[in-house]
Amino acid sequence: MKNCLVIDLDRCSGCHSCEVACKFENAVGLGTFWNRVMTVGPTGTFPDIEMYWLPVQCQQCADAPCVNVCPTGASYRDETTNIVLINKEKCIGCKYCMMACPYGVRSYNETEKVVEKCTLCTQLISAGAKPACVAACCTGARLYGDLDDAGSDVAKAIAAAGADNVHSLPDVGNSPSTRYILHAKTATWKEV
Amino acid sequence: MSIQWALVFFTLFVCLGVGTTVIVAATEWWGKAASTRMPGAIVALVALAAGGVSSILHLGHPERIFGALGQAGSGIFLEMLLIGLTGIGLIAYIVMLSRKSADGGRKIEITITAIPAIILAFAVGASYVMASRPAWDTFLVPLLYAASAAVMGCFTVGLLAARSEDAAVAKSFGLTTLVALVVQALLLVAYLIYLGSAQYADETASVSRLVSGDLAALFWIGLVIVGIVGPAALAWMLRGKKEGGISPLTATGLGLVCVVVGGVVFRALMYSIGSGVAEFFGPL
Repeated sequence: MKNCLVIDLDRCSGCHSCEVACKFENAVGLGTFWNRVMTVGPTGTFPDIEMYWLPVQCQQCADAPCVNVCPTGASYRDETTNIVLINKEKCIGCKYCMMACPYGVRSYNETEKVVEKCTLCTQLISAGAKPACVAACCTGARLYGDLDDAGSDVAKAIAAAGADNVHSLPDVGNSPSTRYILHAKTATWKEV
Repeated sequence: MSIQWALVFFTLFVCLGVGTTVIVAATEWWGKAASTRMPGAIVALVALAAGGVSSILHLGHPERIFGALGQAGSGIFLEMLLIGLTGIGLIAYIVMLSRKSADGGRKIEITITAIPAIILAFAVGASYVMASRPAWDTFLVPLLYAASAAVMGCFTVGLLAARSEDAAVAKSFGLTTLVALVVQALLLVAYLIYLGSAQYADETASVSRLVSGDLAALFWIGLVIVGIVGPAALAWMLRGKKEGGISPLTATGLGLVCVVVGGVVFRALMYSIGSGVAEFFGPL
């Protein structure tokens, strides 16, 4: 089971609705993020200019370094959903997981003195709903599901896009699960 | 990445304690500098305790630290365990010294204590080796931390020897200290070579930032001159056979101050260039 997000960057309009929905649903503090829309570009020379938006959040790594380094087991993989989560009551706020995350997509909650991150809105998906960012996406760019289930929305989207148009963030041994769909007609994928 | 001062002082104090422990153990085998053993063991114990306190200051919820005891595979668990074992070994050694135990037993005890101490020197550095931080993702990092422990230990015990007015013994620490500093310098050069070719290392984690960028003053003055060249010159003068010149007390005292300052600068630089493969939510 590989529950994660697939984000179609051909469709993403950079409206930041997913970012706002995430903050609203999860009460994410001012100045911190669980999900953030980055602007990649513009690159090239006029009139051949391209730009795209890259929403980033926990990449649900198959070999999650945050889980591996956590000294108390606060960062863990949920046995039922296989989603990487944080048990805030166990977190000692050492930020070791933040150092170990290759993408810097964890946040430190200064009020609670613990580390937080995207949970794929576990509170919603356990009730059969979609994560808030997916539900709020006005262009249908965000999909949630099990990549290992060929019948899931995410697996179908990946298959339809074709391998050449499916990308992921750099893999430094952590095997990120999140996939990004970007066709060359929209923009050229840029490695971070 | 911002400098995590609590962790800077955690590894600094731990390395000071480790280095001192190992050099005290070496004096047992060497059969000299007996007057340095008790104060050396006490300094090492206090340094390890100070390191432990520093690490606690870094935590958001220190009251939950015992949860780490349930995660035997984590680096923090290993560090806690090794600090505990070294500390217990040092306490036992201090008791043996105060009771004037037999030389053989004492020698075996401090040698056994030095084993977790040596592992600890590498372990605090190994905790930083992670693929997410290109500047840290090399085996040279634990070696540099071990070298830092060695130079601080040499100067600490050398200073204790100089304090006891045993000038000849204090001078004999000069060569060992010099060798440790040369090894540290070679490791630093090797590290710069690594950094120059590290995958995903951007300009924030570059050699040019260290040697000619915004960190250059700290690197050249704080680390190279104050942290390595200056102490090496003092160690060279310390080992001199001629009468006169710099006093052992001055050489070792000044040398210890220099390597401690260099140790702080080295650790601060490590954090300064410790940027991630990507930092989408901003630097840590």
